[in-house]
Amino acid sequence: MLISYNWLKELITLDVAPDELAERMTMLGLEIESVAEPGKDINDVYVGHILDIQPHPDADKLVVCKTDVGKGEPLQIVCGAANMKPGDKVPTAIDGATLPGGFRIGRRKMRGLESCGMMCSARELNLGEDHAGLMILPPDMPLGQDIRQALGLDDVVFEIEVTPNRGDWACMIGVARELAAYYGVELRVPDIDIRESGDAAAAWSSVTIEDAELCPRYAGRILRNVVVKPSPPWMCARLVAAGQRPINNVVDITNYVLLETGHPLHAFDYDKLAENRIVVRRARAGESITTLDGEPRPLNEKMLVIADAKQPQAVAGVMGGADSEVDDGSRHIFLESAYFNPRSIRATARDLGLVTEAAQHFQRGADPEMVVYAINRAAMLMQQLADAEVAPGILDEYPNPQQGRQVTLRFDRARQLLGADVPPAKQQEIITGLGFEPQQCDTVSCTVVTPSWRHDVSHEADLIEEVARHYGYDKIPSTMPPVRQTESVFAPMEKRVRALRQFLVAQGLSEAVNWSFGNVENETKSGMTVNTANMVALQNPLSENYAGMRTTLLPALYATAAYNHKRGARGVAIFEIGPVYHAVDNETLPEEPLYLGILVNGVTPGQWAQPERAVDFYDIKGLLEIVFRFAGREAELEPVDCDAFQPSQSALVKVRKHQYGYVGKTAPAVARAFDLPDNTYALELNLSKLLAAPAPVPQFEDIPQFPPSLRDLAVVVERDVTAAQLIKTVKEAGGALLKGVEIFDVYSGKPLPPDKKSIALSLVFQSPERTLTDKDTQKTLERIIKRLQKQCGAELR
Amino acid sequence: MKERLESLGSEALAKIEQAADLKTLDAVRVAYLGRKGKLTAILRGLGQASPDERREIGQRANVLKEELGKRLDARKETLEAAAQQQQAQSEFVDLTLPGRCPRAGSMHVINQICDEIVDIFTQMGFQVAVGPDVETEYYNFDALNTPDDHPARDSHDTFFVKPGVVLRTQTSPVQMRVMEQTPPPVAVVVPGRVYRVDLDATHSPMFVQMEGLLVDKNITFADLKGTLMHFIYTFFGKNTQVRFRPHFFPFTEPSAEVDILWTARDRHTGEVKSKWLEILGCGMVHPEVFRYASYDYEAYSGYAFGLGIDRIAMVRHAISSITHLYENDLRFLEQF
Repeated sequence: MLISYNWLKELITLDVAPDELAERMTMLGLEIESVAEPGKDINDVYVGHILDIQPHPDADKLVVCKTDVGKGEPLQIVCGAANMKPGDKVPTAIDGATLPGGFRIGRRKMRGLESCGMMCSARELNLGEDHAGLMILPPDMPLGQDIRQALGLDDVVFEIEVTPNRGDWACMIGVARELAAYYGVELRVPDIDIRESGDAAAAWSSVTIEDAELCPRYAGRILRNVVVKPSPPWMCARLVAAGQRPINNVVDITNYVLLETGHPLHAFDYDKLAENRIVVRRARAGESITTLDGEPRPLNEKMLVIADAKQPQAVAGVMGGADSEVDDGSRHIFLESAYFNPRSIRATARDLGLVTEAAQHFQRGADPEMVVYAINRAAMLMQQLADAEVAPGILDEYPNPQQGRQVTLRFDRARQLLGADVPPAKQQEIITGLGFEPQQCDTVSCTVVTPSWRHDVSHEADLIEEVARHYGYDKIPSTMPPVRQTESVFAPMEKRVRALRQFLVAQGLSEAVNWSFGNVENETKSGMTVNTANMVALQNPLSENYAGMRTTLLPALYATAAYNHKRGARGVAIFEIGPVYHAVDNETLPEEPLYLGILVNGVTPGQWAQPERAVDFYDIKGLLEIVFRFAGREAELEPVDCDAFQPSQSALVKVRKHQYGYVGKTAPAVARAFDLPDNTYALELNLSKLLAAPAPVPQFEDIPQFPPSLRDLAVVVERDVTAAQLIKTVKEAGGALLKGVEIFDVYSGKPLPPDKKSIALSLVFQSPERTLTDKDTQKTLERIIKRLQKQCGAELR
Repeated sequence: MKERLESLGSEALAKIEQAADLKTLDAVRVAYLGRKGKLTAILRGLGQASPDERREIGQRANVLKEELGKRLDARKETLEAAAQQQQAQSEFVDLTLPGRCPRAGSMHVINQICDEIVDIFTQMGFQVAVGPDVETEYYNFDALNTPDDHPARDSHDTFFVKPGVVLRTQTSPVQMRVMEQTPPPVAVVVPGRVYRVDLDATHSPMFVQMEGLLVDKNITFADLKGTLMHFIYTFFGKNTQVRFRPHFFPFTEPSAEVDILWTARDRHTGEVKSKWLEILGCGMVHPEVFRYASYDYEAYSGYAFGLGIDRIAMVRHAISSITHLYENDLRFLEQF
């Protein structure tokens, strides 16, 4: 909504500068989106009168005009436009003029002829996009007038955002009313002055409301012998300032009154209405209408229409019909001003997919008491500007006058809720100043009736907001409340998830945050089993790529890695912690477990002291181990054969037989499908499961007092003997003295036969009671070696 | 004897000065002052001399011994210093070469900001709550005083899942979920993903918000101001200029939006400009919301607020487009 400073000043006495006013409007809740001074850069541009147009002797596309700007001799101006004719008035920039954007206009030669200025298009004056031709001004604009005054450009225009609760602010009177209340000045609504003539309106037409719930009030006036012509400059200037294009007087007047009063009006061609009368009713099954935009629109029985004796002529409050449109041939007009049910308008506009200015006004709630003023204001302007003869009387149907709501404001409650000591007298002054009618007021409270334009006020809290707004949010103090907690814990895992995130970052991983959307194709491509019934589908997705909600984190991690490889990354190490979504039969909402996904691939970054190296399975496995160590749980790996991972290098991750996720080498086919290097490794874990139980609390173990005895052991075994087998055997054979065993080297290759490998173990022997002798360790070591030979087929190296 | 002593002294002093390293110096010490050393031998031979001679020579020999001892110590110090210097020179490193360190990871800027803000509020006594992304219309709209035909629903561009189920358009539904679980007092902050059908340079269909809710006896609008000022001063700096201006939300009354005066250099023109930037919406919990939660509006009051984490991240780090936040370009991620 554009609010003109000059226009405001006609409605209220304002002695504040525009910037101060903008600040005040903001602090009253009228959010300022922008402030424009349309005429700021325009100098020496006047209303010019084209006297003569001749072709340019040396250029086909140019003409030579004589244009009078009321300053001495007419100017010779060479021009490339073609839409003007002698007698037209146009904005004319003279030698030395400036235009928006800092353009300077001077004398210059154009194809050999001197041009002493420039005639302007609308775009050159920053008044719209139109630059197909010159801006043709209304013929009665005074010759030689400064264009800033002529077009009302010596103004400041505030673009305000009207919140959905304050439909009453979407007009000049509404904004002026708010400011009048704040500044304590009078609102000067233009007086109505109509000279009615001829037969009474009731003799010409009638109004019948068949559905008073959807249309509580409907008023009509008959305007005869209307002369359709351009609007006068003052009105054009106002419309331009408000961001609208003048069309003709009839259309402009309804737009003008809408801007002024916030009340949409509609003009029907009286002669095109069957039986010249109006019936306000719901559409009948099978009815349709062609609206003003030329679109045929099927109607249904929920929609309210304005019909004549036969058929719908307008979709009530949304858009008029083409059949009864006012055109150049129209003589008599049936002018409508009505109040429609906001919900009904909203539903109809939504069902028809029609967003119109009128619908927006009505669905936020117009003012039923403004109906008559608006129609009278329009009739008065029609008489003044379109020579209309106004038939006496208003056809005003208002079967159940709307009542305001009673709301009580308790002064102490306001003080208590705001935490500000606003005196009762001040509270009362504020709400009554805003138009709330006091019913019963004393020192404790004040009961008021809401004014007809305030559909948003129904609770005491709403009045308290009024008090706060006009008292000033900035005057309310700042205090710190005591914060008390309940016993409930709402997000028990949150802290650990956060710690895990920091922990993973410390391991050199970068955290990704991907959109939670997913689609079946992509998830299938990643090899993860997709149960389409399990996927949460969206009814109105952004695109097929985001058709539903993800059930796995891996496809997005693969896509992220590929994105980065395309941009030069040689290795990627990323993770994401986020929800995935699994629909559950017979449940309204899906499950949303928190998952962890990690991807590492390519090479680790190298530098002068650390050569880069290719990432392999043990990188992802190491990450799995530290995540489990973090969680205080023990992972069990079970080889798995699935499409997502390379069978020889992947496993299901389980805890006590329950599946928690996957780890492994991304299947080569999947890596190729996502454009990833072959050595891509990933894991995915259900964190909601993994972190459900708190990590066990470590219990102190005595620090050994006697030194350990260390022994290394290298054995050669078959290739398929696992490290776990060896360690298990060593531990069983080692008994109480064996404190620990670790693998410190694995080797295969020459001189070993191809089916063998060598594994080096380091053993720690220790007793809590004494220093071990060589004999002690030797005995145990021999037992271990024997057992390794027997159970693992190991040979000592 | 006297002459021998003198020539021995000058000979020893010369050798001390000539000793080029600690080992040679030690050999000199042993040769003169050791058990079998030359000076020791003279002292030992004094037994055969006359008492006068013994006294005089003895005195001189002791003076010389002391002198040699001092010279040896001094020379040792010099040589040690030289040795240390030499070692230092031989162990020269290029200080400007980068150190050996593990690969640097990075936490996503959105989560860094969430964590930082959560910390500020948990230090005040709030706790974290969470709620589902796929949410019922009841929690996302109805229970927040936004019935089906409410114009505020228009601005939300909701993703629909099935009748009655949407992707939450805000973190506010968790307000009601929390209030249903527990009687007052409650004090929670709720970080989470939210969704709206919108995609351009300033809108992402998924973005991150943080909700706050405090309900107790005698909670006031002044408390709301105080709490948020504390947050803003802590997060943006204590000299930040703040303004609360009236706004509309269906589930708070009175409602406000909060702006901060933000100074930034324009990426293209280099011009430094200050302007008011909206960073959050807030207000006192609406009586209708209390009714849905079965909270007593007469006995309790509360405030709620909602922060756009993306917006705050973009403002604070001068991020030019929201698309960077969810593209996961490593060259972006690693900047934070």
